[in-house]
Amino acid sequence: MISVRNVSLTYPNGVRALDNVSLEIGKGDFVFLVGHSGTGKSSLLRLLYHETVPTSGEITVDGIRVDRLKRGRIPALRRHLGVVFQDYKLLNDKTVWENVAFAMQVTGAHTKDIMRQVPRALDLVGLSHKSRMFPGELSGGEAQRTAIARALVNNPKLLLCDEPTGNLDPSNTTEIMELLLRINVKGTTVVVATHNQAVVDRMRRRVVRLEDGKIVTDEERGYYYLGLGQGQVLSG
Amino acid sequence: MDWGKVKFFLGEVLRNFTRNAGMQATAIGTVAITIVLLGAFLFVRATLAGLGNDILNQIEISVYFTNDASTHQEDAVRAALSKDPRVASVAFVSKQAGLKELRAETHGVIDTSLLTENPLPDKFRVRVHDPASVQNVALAIRKMSGVANVVYPQTIVARLLQLGSVLRRVGIVVIAVFLLVAGIIISNTIRLTVFARRREISIMQLVGATNMYIRAPFICEGFLDGLIGSVIAIGLLTAARFMLWPKLVLALPWIQLNASTVHAPALVAELILTGAAIGILSSWISVGRHLRT
Repeated sequence: MISVRNVSLTYPNGVRALDNVSLEIGKGDFVFLVGHSGTGKSSLLRLLYHETVPTSGEITVDGIRVDRLKRGRIPALRRHLGVVFQDYKLLNDKTVWENVAFAMQVTGAHTKDIMRQVPRALDLVGLSHKSRMFPGELSGGEAQRTAIARALVNNPKLLLCDEPTGNLDPSNTTEIMELLLRINVKGTTVVVATHNQAVVDRMRRRVVRLEDGKIVTDEERGYYYLGLGQGQVLSG
Repeated sequence: MDWGKVKFFLGEVLRNFTRNAGMQATAIGTVAITIVLLGAFLFVRATLAGLGNDILNQIEISVYFTNDASTHQEDAVRAALSKDPRVASVAFVSKQAGLKELRAETHGVIDTSLLTENPLPDKFRVRVHDPASVQNVALAIRKMSGVANVVYPQTIVARLLQLGSVLRRVGIVVIAVFLLVAGIIISNTIRLTVFARRREISIMQLVGATNMYIRAPFICEGFLDGLIGSVIAIGLLTAARFMLWPKLVLALPWIQLNASTVHAPALVAELILTGAAIGILSSWISVGRHLRT
């Protein structure tokens, strides 16, 4: 699903965000990207949906060569994947229903399809009963579920989440993670950048750890390791 | 036809339009002022051009024959002129008719009864289609045999022709400046509404909306600014045409101002199209600038 080969990214201000990173993620995988703030997790995600372009290296997402993508083809890539952020990025003057439908409307979807798929997405995230509410009236967890419904409404094969639980309390965090897992079970590839140790350690999924723009560990059923010294490993 | 799509699109346009009502009013006002100035300018220019043309169209070339010119020579000149595509009409004025005209024009100030013989030569009165060709036609006639002299108001023709070309050139510059100013102000207005909606735009881009789709509501917004502004301007211009213009005509009796040379429907159409075009073009540019960064 995702193939990243020898990718480096240096921002115009000279900051080296990623340094020769290579990573393969298969169809249907569930992967955590972990590491301190500023280690390149978000940069790596941004490269995948062509928000930034790599300084060097190759990136392929669902068969699309993202690093060579022409500007006009970006929308096509974005329709293949959903993105979820820490701050939800909802439109506050639109209801839950409208926020989710918006993702379809702006891609020119038929009303018939919108009427069919929006309720389905809202049902999946358990928000059918709040579809008429505005983001300001929702809890953080509900707002994030709305954002996830919006990311999923176009049936993407890949869901990218950048600190999806960063603003949430533990119970909402658990709720969101369970939702992401359910989505993954249905066949969607899920990549989650996080520094929430509890979540990573409890879920025991593939963990890719970044430090200073490099991948330092990549383990199936891994742990977070945050705050532990060099060489120390938590036993499972 | 997917009415849901249409409804969504129009809803978006209307929401934008009403949300930044203050800014829209500014943009519409600017367009209105620009179009009023432009319209007034075009109107005055057309009137002046009409005035000039009226004078130019009345210009005649007088062709005087020598006293000993034969009828044969005169006929030859007439035949040559009738064949010339630049010539509109040729009228023969005999010695006798010329004297009569002179009497009428001078109202007896010159006592022609004292004349023992008619001093006037035969002449042709020639009119041309295009005032610009007066000079060349006159030169051609002068070379014909039997022709003594060719007279036409040379300086007036030259001045009026020059005035016409100056008016055209100044006009183009003035219009360009007006349009540029209006374009800059509209594009700034649209840029502000783009800025106010940058979050929405980034979400649209994130979920895979094409740039064309993102642009469309803003283009519509610019179009509406231009359209409404120019309709207001045309209202003002129409009011001025019927309330101020007659007073101006009365105030300047020595100039024969004639507004009938202005083709009103064409002018209205031009102004509306111009307003709408500035709106569309300037919003296109300012949204494009945002989308590229």
